[in-house]
This record gives sequence, structure tokens and C-alpha cells, in this order.
Amino acid sequence: MESRYDRAITVFSPDGHLFQVEYAQEAVKKGSTAVGIRGTDIVVLGVEKKSVAKLQDERTVRKICALDDHVCMAFAGLTADARVVINRARVECQSYKLTVEDPVTVEYITRFIATLKQKYTQSNGRRPFGISALIVGFDDDGIPRLYQTDPSGTYHAWKANAIGRSAKTVREFLEKNYTEDAIANDNEAIKLAIRALLEIVQSGGKNIELAIIRRNQPLKMFSAKEIESQVTAIEKEKEETEKKKSKKTA
Amino acid sequence: MAATFFGEVVKAPCRAGTEDEEEDDEGRKETPEDREVRRQLARKREVRLLRRQTKTSLEVSLLEKYPCSKFIIAIGNNAVAFLSSFVTSSGVWEEVGCAKLWNEWCRTTDTAHLSPTEAFCVFYHLKSNPSVFGSCPRKNLQITVLTCRHVTDYKTSESTSSLHPPFLKALKTQNFKEPPCCSLLEQPNIVHDLPAAVLSYCQVWKIPAILYLCYTDVMKLDLITVEAFKPVLSSRSLKGLVKNIPQSTEVLKKLVTTNEIQSNIYT
Repeated sequence: MESRYDRAITVFSPDGHLFQVEYAQEAVKKGSTAVGIRGTDIVVLGVEKKSVAKLQDERTVRKICALDDHVCMAFAGLTADARVVINRARVECQSYKLTVEDPVTVEYITRFIATLKQKYTQSNGRRPFGISALIVGFDDDGIPRLYQTDPSGTYHAWKANAIGRSAKTVREFLEKNYTEDAIANDNEAIKLAIRALLEIVQSGGKNIELAIIRRNQPLKMFSAKEIESQVTAIEKEKEETEKKKSKKTA
Repeated sequence: MAATFFGEVVKAPCRAGTEDEEEDDEGRKETPEDREVRRQLARKREVRLLRRQTKTSLEVSLLEKYPCSKFIIAIGNNAVAFLSSFVTSSGVWEEVGCAKLWNEWCRTTDTAHLSPTEAFCVFYHLKSNPSVFGSCPRKNLQITVLTCRHVTDYKTSESTSSLHPPFLKALKTQNFKEPPCCSLLEQPNIVHDLPAAVLSYCQVWKIPAILYLCYTDVMKLDLITVEAFKPVLSSRSLKGLVKNIPQSTEVLKKLVTTNEIQSNIYT
């Protein structure tokens, strides 16, 4: 049944599926994991860095991109599609600022990206964008925001979410560990993001990239050293809790 | 026969074959040349067994030389990676020979000088327990086949979103009495190529054999796919062959990273 209804994006199957959109969601699962966390005064984006070929310049393989001074996003899926979406979003941010003389709200730019994606699910001869995006930032009112979009063009606000290859595992981890204590202060929120990624990343800190936005501050990308120090701190904490546990049982 | 517009009678072309008496004999008779070409082709397509290190051919057929109780075949890069990192890396396995063959689909035309790395099948036997290996249809022989298939080949009445590849399915011959390590392959799915040939052979000759088929969405060498074979380690044929699982996992990771072809399509 599927094979007769999955070639054209504009064709529904008898049971109401748009198979091209569902297949686009599979393409997203081929990208490496990205996690987003909304704290009280901070938003954190963490991604699993893809291993770069020896002769390749690392700087050209970026999963976290700024859309404006106060908004940034991480994506998972087809690299080229992401580049196109990011460019359109960046242009829209500036166009909005020129027209309205105010920076975009996070929700506005998310809605713009989602509408763009939805358009591509409804016209003939095109295919959906094969990316999901996590968009974070602060609005003028100072409230932190985290949104997620997917290839179908839907968007939702989240407290914490993950997209990409092992998103399910990371989301389960976040559901268990996202508590008021976990995001009590900025450092805790950063640690939560790193701990979530360490669940699925293969060789520890050197395969993680992290970016944060604090209220009224621009995007900050963490250096490899800073990430390493966070990872060591997390591992130390883990050891201490293990010791305490073994003492209790003994 | 047909008539044309101008009244001439012409022979109508017929694909069913000519019914004329004047059959073209030349096309049918086999000349000595044809026979020679056919002979050469048959020689080229012979499967050769030889020792890789010495490049000498194995005179005695492998079947007789190494009788065994367990035969494990891995087909495809993921299955081979699983076997080489979990089984052949624990214990000392000695390579006893390899099989080389050529047919018209091969890219090289030179059969005499196939490089040593182009063996299509390599045979190993466990030094400490030489009974584990061989392809002789003897009593107590048990065969395990491991292979992969793309999940799009899997037919099911459930929605595809309920499938979580990679997953394992088993298919066994009538004489295989043990419980398999995973659920059996349901109808109407069928097995193709070499694994099917092996299972058919085993079914005909009443050899207990089981095929573990991993349905995956990544056909190239992939860590998650190879790890999907792990339940097979608890089966009777592989138990005892795997000594050190953490070490094997390390070996596997190394194998996957060295073989990783850089792809920038997905980030």
C-alpha cells in the first residue's frame, strides 16, 4: 500500500499518512543528536559533534548557528537543507528588524521556519526539508524560550528536548532528570545538557559542542577546554554519588 | 506471410520462432570454437580453495580435512564485523583457507592474479577446539548463519512506525531443536541469496541450522546494527566462544571507526 502513496508529497494515503513527510522525519534521525534545555536564566544547546575527516576544516561543520544576536538554533538532518533554512531565517530576522524596528521574538522566527517547512509539504515537485530544529533565545520580556520544529512544519515549545539519532534515549533521560533543582542555576542547566549528551556520545567530552545564551547577553560557544572541565566535574560527582551509595549498602 | 500495399508477398516477422523449413542451421550448431569458449569460461568460474599465506591451493577438500560440530557463517559487512569482533577476537582462530571465485559480474577480468585481499570467503578454525569449524555434513553438526537485510524488505501488517530497526528475526530448519534467541521470521517474508541457499541445503540434508537475520536501516557498517546481533551470543553455538565482551566491544568500535566512510550529507 505504502509504495503507491509515498512518491508524491501532495498525495495522502488512504489512512491519512503523508509518507514523504514521515520519511523526512527518518532523514532527521540520521543526523547526530542535539539537545536543548530551557533554564530559568539561561538556555543551553548541546550537540554531538560529528567526527570530521582528517583533511577537513572543522569550522565548516557547525550544528549550532546564530540566527540573530538573541536567537540561535541547532539542527539535525540534511546539512544542505539546514543551510538553506538558516539563511532564510537570518534574512527574515534582519528584514523584520528593519521593518518593525524590533528584534524578532523567538516564537516569530520559529513560526517563520515552520511555515516555510510546511509550504514545502504542500507544493508539487518539491520535497520536505529533511531537518528538525531546536530554536532557543530570550525575548525582550526576558523570558527564556525553547522551540522545536520538524519536517512537517509543526512547532512546539519545550522545557527540554532532543532531536537526531539517539533522541529517544536522551529525551527519556531528560524526562527523568529535568527537575527544578536541575535547572536551579545556570551551571546546573549546563551540566544537565552535558550529562544528557554523555548518555549517548561515544568518546566523552571531545565529541560535544555546547552553546548558551544568558539573559541580555549574546550567544556564547564553549571551548573544548571548558567542556572538558565540565565533563570532569560531572564524572567526579558521579564517582562521589557511587561511593556514597556503596557506603550505604555496605 | 503477409501482403503489402503493393501486392508483394513478404515474410512477416514473427517472434514466436520460424516455422520455415529453411531454418538457419548455423546459428544452432555449436562449433568447436564455441565449445572452447564455454570450457574456458567454466574454468574461470571455478571456485578455488586455497591457503592465503602460501597461495597454494588446498589439495584435500576442506570438507574432509576439518570435520566440525559448529559452523558459523557471516554474510555481509555487519554480520562479519560482529563475528570478527566478538568471536574471532576471543580465543585464537587460525585461518585455514579462503575461497576465491570469479563470474561475469566481477570487475576484474584477470582471474589468475586476484589479489589476496579479494577472497570472497575466508575460513577460520578455533585452534583450541578444532571441532568448531567445517562444512562437512556430519552428525552433530550445527550451522548458524548471520546476515543483514534492509528493513524496507520486511513485510508486516503493522504500521512501519512501530518497527524499531535494527531488530533480529530467526529462521530455522526442521532439525534445529533449540529455541532461537529472538522471534521467528513471519510470513510473507522470504530470505534471499546465500543464506537461503545454505538453509535449503541444510533442510534437505536434515542438518540443524538457524539463520539470524538482522533488519536494519543502515546497510553500511554500523555499530548499532552490529550490536543488534548480541542476543545471538547467548545461543548454544556461540556460547563459550566469546570470552571477553567489553574487549570485543572495543574491537568492534575500532573496526567501525576505521571503516567509516566520511559522509557530509547528514549533520
